[in-house]
Amino acid sequence: MNHLPQAWGRPRDDVYGAYDHSHFQTSGPIQHTQSPIVTGTSVVAAKFKDGVVIAADNLASYGSLARFTDVKRLRKFNDQVVVGFGGDVSDMQYLDRLLNSLDIRENYSSSETALNAKNLHTYLAKVMYKRRSDFNPLWNHLLIAGLDGEDKPFLASADLLGTTFTSPTLATGFGAHLAQPILRRTLPDDASVEDVDQETAVKLVKEAMKVLFYRDARSMDRYSIAVITKTGVELHEDEKLENQSWQFAEQIRGYGTQVN
Amino acid sequence: MVSPLADTSIGTGYDLSNSVFSPDGRNFQVEYAVKAVENGGTAVGIRCKDGVVLALEKLVTSRLLKAGANKRISTIDRNIGVVSSGLLPDGRHFVSRARDEAASWRSMYKAPIPSSALANRMGSYVQAYTLYSSVRPFGVTAIVAGWDSEAELPVDGQVGAGPKVGSGGKKEGQKHGGPFLYMIEPSGLYWGYYGAATGKGRQIAKSELEKLNLADGELSLEEGVKEAARIIYVAHDDNKDKEFELEMTWISSLSGPTKGRHEEVPKELREEAEKLAKKSLDDDEDEEEEKMEE
Amino acid sequence: MASVFSGAPPQGGPGYSFTQTPRAAPSGERQHGFYPYTDNGGSTLGISGADFTILAGDTRSTSGYNINTRYAPKLFKIGGEGPDNKGAQIVLSVVGFAADGDALKERLDTIVKMYKYQHGKNMTVSACAQRLSHILYNKRFFPYYVHAILGGLDEEGKGALYSYDPVGSYEREQCRAAGAAASLIMPFLDNQVNFKNQYMPGSGTGHNLQARQAQPLPQNDVEELVRDAFTSAVERHIEVGDGLQMMIITRDGIAETFTPLKKD
Repeated sequence: MNHLPQAWGRPRDDVYGAYDHSHFQTSGPIQHTQSPIVTGTSVVAAKFKDGVVIAADNLASYGSLARFTDVKRLRKFNDQVVVGFGGDVSDMQYLDRLLNSLDIRENYSSSETALNAKNLHTYLAKVMYKRRSDFNPLWNHLLIAGLDGEDKPFLASADLLGTTFTSPTLATGFGAHLAQPILRRTLPDDASVEDVDQETAVKLVKEAMKVLFYRDARSMDRYSIAVITKTGVELHEDEKLENQSWQFAEQIRGYGTQVN
Repeated sequence: MVSPLADTSIGTGYDLSNSVFSPDGRNFQVEYAVKAVENGGTAVGIRCKDGVVLALEKLVTSRLLKAGANKRISTIDRNIGVVSSGLLPDGRHFVSRARDEAASWRSMYKAPIPSSALANRMGSYVQAYTLYSSVRPFGVTAIVAGWDSEAELPVDGQVGAGPKVGSGGKKEGQKHGGPFLYMIEPSGLYWGYYGAATGKGRQIAKSELEKLNLADGELSLEEGVKEAARIIYVAHDDNKDKEFELEMTWISSLSGPTKGRHEEVPKELREEAEKLAKKSLDDDEDEEEEKMEE
Repeated sequence: MASVFSGAPPQGGPGYSFTQTPRAAPSGERQHGFYPYTDNGGSTLGISGADFTILAGDTRSTSGYNINTRYAPKLFKIGGEGPDNKGAQIVLSVVGFAADGDALKERLDTIVKMYKYQHGKNMTVSACAQRLSHILYNKRFFPYYVHAILGGLDEEGKGALYSYDPVGSYEREQCRAAGAAASLIMPFLDNQVNFKNQYMPGSGTGHNLQARQAQPLPQNDVEELVRDAFTSAVERHIEVGDGLQMMIITRDGIAETFTPLKKD
């Protein structure tokens, strides 16, 4: 029994190390996010002739710990825009609230046309660029999927530095390495978008999700997928990759120390 | 209420400043504000079984104004609307403050402001303008309509779905929310109503509202829309004001036509309601003529 | 974490050593863990002629070894009417950190448009060039990480080309290459546009050698040079490729062309 009241209810120094009181210090320079904490992995998306498909799994990781397994990383903004979030989850939640208040202000008057995906991408890119310029970045990589002002498919990205680009297919994080090459096989350029229908695009994106599940350690087989077309947004938040199994791994011979 | 102008108190000085009572305990500035409201176009709110309707007799002040433009019923939050009668700029300021309140509630609690809380905050705000000599009271009476969601609140961008049982979990069959209607007067006084009316035709409108037996909670939203249109037409005084536009908004339940949002009543429905309103007026006139002939 | 909790009493006594724990924030310089720049690769180049200016840039955007997209323009019309810059007479090219490039373009475009609203006439290229320098210089302590090239026609109708460093130092030139493959393209341009290291045949040897005098090149020759420069750069630099965007400014306005480059 320790007789110092300050010690009661506290982690033992000899076990957990000394507590760093400097965290309570209020003076000193303002500290901003130095690194993401709870994170979501890839977001993948592909255009097709009538719209866009976008998908992200439902996992939020805390380092290598699979911390939350039912997180919605696709956010429907309105009937023509979905935003996919990769990166820090708390920054995602902040952006979600920001989009909510934007939507409310947009709907004060009903006559004006709704914000489309292009508008929203411009807005979000400026938010991201402003925050990086303030040295206070929102640690996310966003994909904005939907329709532009002419009801044509729109897909663009914005990251924590405020960098923006658009492409017929996009993938963030690990997906940029693993999914993007697969997606580009079917959609190499803008012209090819016209030749791809919804079914093909959905199949393609699901295939990309499968590859990511197998090869990205911070991923899982529960995911959300959304299809945005002129008729609106079709969002499913609890999809499961079918028939996935690591059974085959046991049969593999010849890797590493296992030689026969 | 006796008009202070007709009263002997004229010239006594008790009507010159807010924050000064007259010897018989009245704040004349507030009473003058009420006068301003009484000159405004009639506004009506009806709390129905499955939603709320707001209707406004928008008096056309100039032929140079574009028909259907310059909307007067405002959206405060997704699920709340406000209509006011009286000084238009005061109404605008009221709406602006209400929007700020709704937004600050959201940022504080991550949830939409309940109608009751908004009415309470706006009541307090309006009341504060009766206290100081440097300000005048609001020249508006505002009707606040809201649908508080009956659904489980989806916390914005929440991580995970939350616990399925136990503390913080969900209770099945738990019902809350529903339609709400409040009216806030220049004094800051506010009550919750089944049916509310203000502006020029408020007396006629109120007596019409009473006939609807709103307390029974039987009136459907669609019937409410038609009644609201009819009441605005009945309350309209052809002799004093020639022209007006009918402006109507509604908020339904989540399963209803607006999915819990405050929206304009669709054009087709509004026009049908207007047609019925005009027809019922004509029928009434015919009846009266028949009576006269007898 | 010192160790995993064993349950056994720790060696060396209980040791609730509160006094030993740090109570103040560590003094001295703090480093930000966030680096606000990245390099999006790509290359641009500009060449001015007697009555035209050509700006060109590849359309690949990269992050490390990844290709972000095969079509991200680095050339922007400045001024003119509306979001499509109808009737614009000035072109800005930016290469480096694309987000800064976009922000810079947006600022310059607004300024040039505002200039017309306020003064009722188009901004001259020389005025625009100096304004751009000021924008960059004003942010010299947190620079726009871009190499900008500005092109148009001067008041005499001659091709005008200005090149910049990230903090606003600028000069008018005949030709300039910038970006990832600048070091590959620029010597080629020196030789082919300014005839560097070219001598008049038969003019003698040693000090008698007469340098070939540079003269403005015809438009077709310049277009060919640009294409050759980029097809060659694509072979030798991984961040350059996918497509070639060109803007040719003449007194008739801005003509824009796109030619595919190798996608490997």
